[in-house]
Amino acid sequence: MLSSEKRSLFRFLAIYLSSTLILFLLTTTILYHYQKHNIIDRQRDKLQVEVQKIVQKLRVLHTSFNTHLVYPYYKPFNSAIYDINKKYIFGSFHPKNILWDREFYIKNDTLFFVYKIKPYYLGAYYLIVSNKINPKPIQNLQKILGLFLLIAFIFFTLLGIFLGKLFVAPMKESMDNLNRFIQDTTHELNTPISTILTNIELLETLYDCNGKKEMKRIEIASKTLSRLYDDLTYLKLNHNYHRDIKSINISQLIYERIDFFSTMIESKLINLELFIEPNIILKMDKNDTIRLIDNILSNAIKYNLVKGNLKIELNSKELVVYNSGIGIKTKDLKTIHLRFCRANLNEGGFGIGLDIIQYIVKQYNFKFNIESIENHYTKVTIRW
Amino acid sequence: MVKNSIIFIIFITFIDAKSSSINLEKTCLSCHTKQKIPSELIYRRYLMKYSDSTIIKNRILEYLKHPIQKNSIMPKQFFLKFPMKNRTDLNQTILYQEVEEYINFFDIKKKLVLPSDINKN
Repeated sequence: MLSSEKRSLFRFLAIYLSSTLILFLLTTTILYHYQKHNIIDRQRDKLQVEVQKIVQKLRVLHTSFNTHLVYPYYKPFNSAIYDINKKYIFGSFHPKNILWDREFYIKNDTLFFVYKIKPYYLGAYYLIVSNKINPKPIQNLQKILGLFLLIAFIFFTLLGIFLGKLFVAPMKESMDNLNRFIQDTTHELNTPISTILTNIELLETLYDCNGKKEMKRIEIASKTLSRLYDDLTYLKLNHNYHRDIKSINISQLIYERIDFFSTMIESKLINLELFIEPNIILKMDKNDTIRLIDNILSNAIKYNLVKGNLKIELNSKELVVYNSGIGIKTKDLKTIHLRFCRANLNEGGFGIGLDIIQYIVKQYNFKFNIESIENHYTKVTIRW
Repeated sequence: MVKNSIIFIIFITFIDAKSSSINLEKTCLSCHTKQKIPSELIYRRYLMKYSDSTIIKNRILEYLKHPIQKNSIMPKQFFLKFPMKNRTDLNQTILYQEVEEYINFFDIKKKLVLPSDINKN
């Protein structure tokens, strides 16, 4: 799967799943609170029954003149009676900070019921009855809702992946067709390009050719085609490509690649300035390094002006390539690195150069930056 | 020395409590018993109506000073069976003490026990 397909699929999944999850969370939360309220209501009803039972017993005790009046205490319910001034009379417990103005309240997982007795049997004006909230039904509810959420999440994730694949299918098909076309084209291009380049070399070595200028042009065109072929092959293979990471002398490699592009540089009469520190070593795959340098240099030459400047700086921290070319519009800077995206249609190419650079930079955790002012300059920096 | 003082204070308090209980018996309850007036029942009526001991105290004092049916907690029918009390000749301080003692004597808190306390006894 291509990164753009992955990105589209992930974006779709993120939007779809997050909206579904928010909806489900909201529904589940409302349901949870509603059910919890019901559970507590049922426990409150029990407390109310207990209150009536105690009041009846107090009424009986009020008319009893025995030596001991046995206070009605039925576990697990705790109760206490208070006089009209909220002074404690008696009880199975002695709660603190009672909310006298509330009929029901919950405090420290305990349900309290404040009941006003009339008439005041045994002088009791307030009867406080309390019971610990039974957590089991609430825990069961949490388990059921949690399980429901989990199953819903799994189901909707699977559904989302299925829908997402349907959603990106047309895009995938177009990309596959394009890739297939590139694959076929590169395959067909390989042999003629190699033949042309070999024969130009032979002609230059063996014969004193009159049309040197024309020969140079053929060489430039062939090298451009050859590089394009390498880029397309790299793009096609980079998913399954095995990298041979070893120490590469970047300084030396840059000189080699400048030599490769020398015909193009000369043909455009570009003023080349080199500030290359010797023996800068990076641990990279050689093909990756060549593709990275080639694409940066190629863009800097292709989009440069005739008699323009090309400055290459290399030190232990970064590679900076500056060209006094046509530049890039500010609005295009954000999308310029995307595959097949081209800011300038006047020059040839597939719009894959910066995509390759971006891909390689990402592979090695380098930092990549393009700075440009249209019709002035473009500065590409790679930091490691 | 401290130990002896504490013992003395406890002893005096005990004697005082005993003597006030004897006073209540002599000045109030003996007559109630003789005339079969249900003292505790009267106290319970006060308790059921007022809940607060200070209000109860004031109501009893008012009745004792002015013993008329309007100031009594008991219904009219009660006075058909039992005579209206004569106005008390006790002075204010003693009367006040006796009423306090009366309330204390029948205090409900002293009688209330938890089922577990009964089982222990």
